[in-house]
Amino acid sequence: MIPSPEGRPEETDTELINRWKAGDSRAATQLVGRHSQALARFAASAGEREGIEELVQDTFVRAFASLDSFRGASTLRTWLFTIERRLMLDRRRAERRSRETVPVEESDHVSEYGALDGLIAEEAQERVRKSLDALSPTQREVFTLRVQHGLSYKEIAEVVGSTEGAARVHYHNALKTVKEFLKNE
Amino acid sequence: MNKCINSDIQEMLPDLLHRTLADDARKRVAAHVATCESCQEDLDVLRTVKSAAVFAPSIDVDRVVRQIPTYRTIVPAIERPASTRVVSWLVAASLALVVLGGGSVLMIQSKGSRASNSTASQLPNKVAKGSEVSTPSPDGGVILPKPIQLVVAPNPHALALAAEADGLSDRSLVQLMNDMNGFDALPGSEPDPVISVDSGDSL
Repeated sequence: MIPSPEGRPEETDTELINRWKAGDSRAATQLVGRHSQALARFAASAGEREGIEELVQDTFVRAFASLDSFRGASTLRTWLFTIERRLMLDRRRAERRSRETVPVEESDHVSEYGALDGLIAEEAQERVRKSLDALSPTQREVFTLRVQHGLSYKEIAEVVGSTEGAARVHYHNALKTVKEFLKNE
Repeated sequence: MNKCINSDIQEMLPDLLHRTLADDARKRVAAHVATCESCQEDLDVLRTVKSAAVFAPSIDVDRVVRQIPTYRTIVPAIERPASTRVVSWLVAASLALVVLGGGSVLMIQSKGSRASNSTASQLPNKVAKGSEVSTPSPDGGVILPKPIQLVVAPNPHALALAAEADGLSDRSLVQLMNDMNGFDALPGSEPDPVISVDSGDSL
């Protein structure tokens, strides 16, 4: 058990999973509460603009439906990132297909993210977001997983379906690009 | 400013930021960063990126949890172990083999008995028919041909084709083959190709 900020021992993910399997639905609430914001941030940093909450929800539904296949070789969060990333790729593929058939309308450019942009007051946030936009999708995923979520290269490789070496190269290239971007801004 | 060449330290900068390093590693990295401008710059960039985490909407945890079914409803029906499935397949394959093999044996047996019956029943007819054929003789009389003596091979397995060839004996069959070799009905070689004569009308 991990000590919580209140001093109470906090249950590990595995313990919560076992409790949920035993029929305790509060364990699911704790697990979702523990990981949902990280999943939302990962989706946003990976370029998702709409339906982030729906994406997070789908990730949890899928994860809980196949919790028996989670062997604990990685952390639960890494496993959740992997599921979420797969869902994002599926979603992008579907969007690409629909764009090929449906003409793009003006309203498509207005997203909930765009509408909320004005609320993001911090100039630094804007700059960082722009610098991340300058990266390739894989570089951005690797970089945000490493810097914003603190994942190891091994975990990142698992999430993005790559090797540790490739993840390391993506990270260093991304850092170089972001550094230059922020310097020149 | 020179680029830092200590790649080990550079690799650990995000871990320093997330406080996931063990005590001794954290002290080592912190001591290096204190004296290395390049790593300080990298760490500043990483700190900026981390603190400016891209905006993400807050998630309604209860709403998500409501969508999650209980464990019992999503556990699939208990599957039989793989070993049981293998045994079932083996039993099914064996049964299929027995049925096919048995069927084939029965078919061969029934075919064999039918063939031997028909050979035996046709044999006297053939001889009788042969005796009815007559040829005119030069002096106007009629010469009755001698009835053909068919000798059935003593060994029923010898030249099984004999049964198909109306019960010819080995000797008769060899004779027939020799006669066939002597036939001159087919040309010795392929016909010569037809060579068209150019009439001068060609294009």
